[in-house]
Amino acid sequence: MRGTLLVLLATAAFAAPPFEARVRELIESYAHPKGNDFGYATIAARLKLGQDPAWCSRRLIELLEPPIHGDMFWMFPTTAIAYLDRGQLSQEARQALREAWRTYMPFRGDTENHWLLYYTSLYLMAQLWRGEPGERWFTGKSSEENLREAAAWIDSWIRLTTRRGQGEYDCTHYIGVFLLPMSYLAAWAEDPVMRKRAQMMLDYLIADYAAENLDGIYVGSHARTDDKMVIEKWHSVAGDFGYLLFGLGPRPALMNGYALYYSVASAYRPPAILERIATDRSTPYTHYERKRTRNRWRFHDELHGPVYKTTYIRREYAVGSDQGGILQPIQQHSWDVTWAVADPRGVHNTFFTMHPYSSLYELQTYFSFGPDFGVEEVVRSKRTYDSPDKLLGGSPFEKIMQDEDTVIALYAIPPLTRFPHINGFISKDLDEFVEDPSGWIFLRGNQALIAARPLQRYALKPIQGGGRRLFSPYLNNGVVVQAAPASEFANLEAFRKAILALELDYRLEPVPSVRFRSLRGRRLEFTYGETPRVDGRPLDYENWPLFGGPFLEAAVDSEQLLIKYGSERRKLDFRRNTVE
Amino acid sequence: MRSVLLVFAVAAAAAAEHRMWVCMRIQKNWVGGLPLKPSGLFVDSPGGTFEQRGYNHPLVVGLDYDPRDPSTLYLAAGNGLIRASERGRRWRILTDHQVTELRDVSVDPNAPGTIYFAHVGGLHVTRDGGATFEPVHPLARRRYTETVRVDRTRAGRLVCGGESGLYLSENGGRSWRLAGGAGFQIMYVQQSPHDADHWLAVTQLGGLLVSADGGRTFENSGNVGVHRNLYDIAFDPTTPGRIALCGWGPGVVVSEDNGKTWEERNHGLPSTAVWSVAFDPDRTGRLVASLHEEALYVSEDAGRNWRRYGLEESVAYRIRFIPEAAR
Repeated sequence: MRGTLLVLLATAAFAAPPFEARVRELIESYAHPKGNDFGYATIAARLKLGQDPAWCSRRLIELLEPPIHGDMFWMFPTTAIAYLDRGQLSQEARQALREAWRTYMPFRGDTENHWLLYYTSLYLMAQLWRGEPGERWFTGKSSEENLREAAAWIDSWIRLTTRRGQGEYDCTHYIGVFLLPMSYLAAWAEDPVMRKRAQMMLDYLIADYAAENLDGIYVGSHARTDDKMVIEKWHSVAGDFGYLLFGLGPRPALMNGYALYYSVASAYRPPAILERIATDRSTPYTHYERKRTRNRWRFHDELHGPVYKTTYIRREYAVGSDQGGILQPIQQHSWDVTWAVADPRGVHNTFFTMHPYSSLYELQTYFSFGPDFGVEEVVRSKRTYDSPDKLLGGSPFEKIMQDEDTVIALYAIPPLTRFPHINGFISKDLDEFVEDPSGWIFLRGNQALIAARPLQRYALKPIQGGGRRLFSPYLNNGVVVQAAPASEFANLEAFRKAILALELDYRLEPVPSVRFRSLRGRRLEFTYGETPRVDGRPLDYENWPLFGGPFLEAAVDSEQLLIKYGSERRKLDFRRNTVE
Repeated sequence: MRSVLLVFAVAAAAAAEHRMWVCMRIQKNWVGGLPLKPSGLFVDSPGGTFEQRGYNHPLVVGLDYDPRDPSTLYLAAGNGLIRASERGRRWRILTDHQVTELRDVSVDPNAPGTIYFAHVGGLHVTRDGGATFEPVHPLARRRYTETVRVDRTRAGRLVCGGESGLYLSENGGRSWRLAGGAGFQIMYVQQSPHDADHWLAVTQLGGLLVSADGGRTFENSGNVGVHRNLYDIAFDPTTPGRIALCGWGPGVVVSEDNGKTWEERNHGLPSTAVWSVAFDPDRTGRLVASLHEEALYVSEDAGRNWRRYGLEESVAYRIRFIPEAAR
């Protein structure tokens, strides 16, 4: 009861201004930044507001002095500036911008977000500077050739996404670099079909996030997150967009630049149905998604493997997972329990376990790395990749099943694997933490009760920055996790008794295997490497929907999305380019 | 004395029939997203300095040329297949969004306009100089292709290697057969300039594979680079029987007897992490090697002694000597 009041009070405390005011505030914050960091974002913001065009011109010319760098992350800011110009920039500044797109060749990159940024920017600039020969472009191709190629890639991306899901799905950070290109095209594409499809994709991507957020926090498994966001869940680009689009969570001190570029283009306000889906957590629900792996260049018969996501969400917490395995390189996050807190700033409101895995095999699956330098090259930018203490990344030796708010994660780590142990994250921000003689651990985070049963002995080691790492150095291992709202029990002791009364059988050899009667009364059976069963029925991976649940519905290969809330419906049909 | 030597060096370079071209990246302390120091395509100029040609690019990993017009190079690059005409100065990306992250390129000298390129998603060819492309993957699945080389003696005959083994086509990629190395990742394949039937391929962990029948079958040589990673192969065009290989661990390895025996030749090198090697066709015994994030090194005695040469802090993915004039 007290927690509910706190949540309500917190919501009131974070009451956000209207959407238009949030957009304006964001643009203003970039137009007049604290300090002296006046980059492309400041120019874009000032041009949007029609402020100080002479300064914008001078600063743009300075920034475009060679050597330019940034690749596709340079392309999208300069594209915005070109479209926000609207007669404000000097002729010299415009010429500098035009010349930069001839003399600087941005790298196209090696992944979905890179290509989307590259081709969206190229599309819009080729549209802006039509009729120019190849000599005027870094590609060596004419404006029309660039436009055609970019349009073809964007179309292929939309088709693949609406048929098989994104490869870089549900990223806490990269959500921004999928939303901003669509915002650009929705605002600036002259082709009405491209413009419309981009707006539909905004609905699509925002719906994906709306159904899987808790107070603005992107919950569930992620293709990519990072070392900070994986534990401080709100502190992310997704959190920024939660506030910008829906007024969720506290106002970020300074939103990420991706939100700015989204706002200076279409500043698309999602329809009311998406706002309701994003904010209504009055009824618990389970949401299903099918995504795909990133491009697997080596070691697999299929370029894209399936990703099966399950996310259970209620007001007090969310439990989300994929099926385990290496679905993405380096930054995958496969499962966790995330609980709602009154103020998420600086709070580590999550619990999970994982196997710290790093290998050349993983890198060569997804990249063109040669054998000797791949891991070192990755560690230069992703510093924890090859660390035994890390809390980020998937493992081929982790398999996961979920039913509502119950998760079973099993590990069968082959001998001689680089890191032969599992890690778990025990937050500094737990309200209660009890290690029970039974082997269960009981945790309370605000109004979420969590019971976790490691299948092997473990130690708790301090983590720099707060919290503890559950360290369990066994090859065959696992954890059974059951969450429940505090409102269902008088206290943690009552929860403990209820959990201890549940039937749990497990064995560890030859591979981990668990039978567990969940708090929801379901009989869960899971053996490592086999299809999990719920009440005797195997999980139906074959018919896993692209989206399934009370809010979103889409079949694999459909190129459609049905958005539902109560009796309201909004149907996106990318085959006919219609919204009904 | 120094001036005399300099004049001599300049005169020698000016008289050279070939120039050294390097695909490289300045990599020391660099990670993606940081400003990229001059990287991409470089040519060794008379006087021993390197000149960048074309755009700065972090991933130019292979090059080839048409002997009929060596002023135009074809680059295997991150952004696609690039035609670098006017001696590398003018670039055009020939491919479109359908291929990415090229790994190698090979021009068919006997089929005008035909260029094969290996990439992370397989193998493609253009038969019309880059106007159109078609996939010619050896396999329907597991297409990753790291290297491709066209037989210089017969149009449409080529060997490629990738995730698992070497494949030979004798009809321009329309059909293929496994030639060897099954189970090994192939890193590079090369044909001898002296004997068209003699082919070599280097591998990840599997050592050196040798073909004596024109690439129909490859067998493991069994005596060099096994359990290490080899990256490059250089036949000495001036000296039949002399071959250099390189890799991480073995460094530079040279054979003087056509691969029967091998000797590690790393005296004067700061490490044994070597990415690429090439012999100078105009100066017998002159061998160039790329040391990981160190520099290019040059030897005038086929690798017995080395000195630092240029392109500091670089990784050179490929070094090629290319004729100044059409043959």
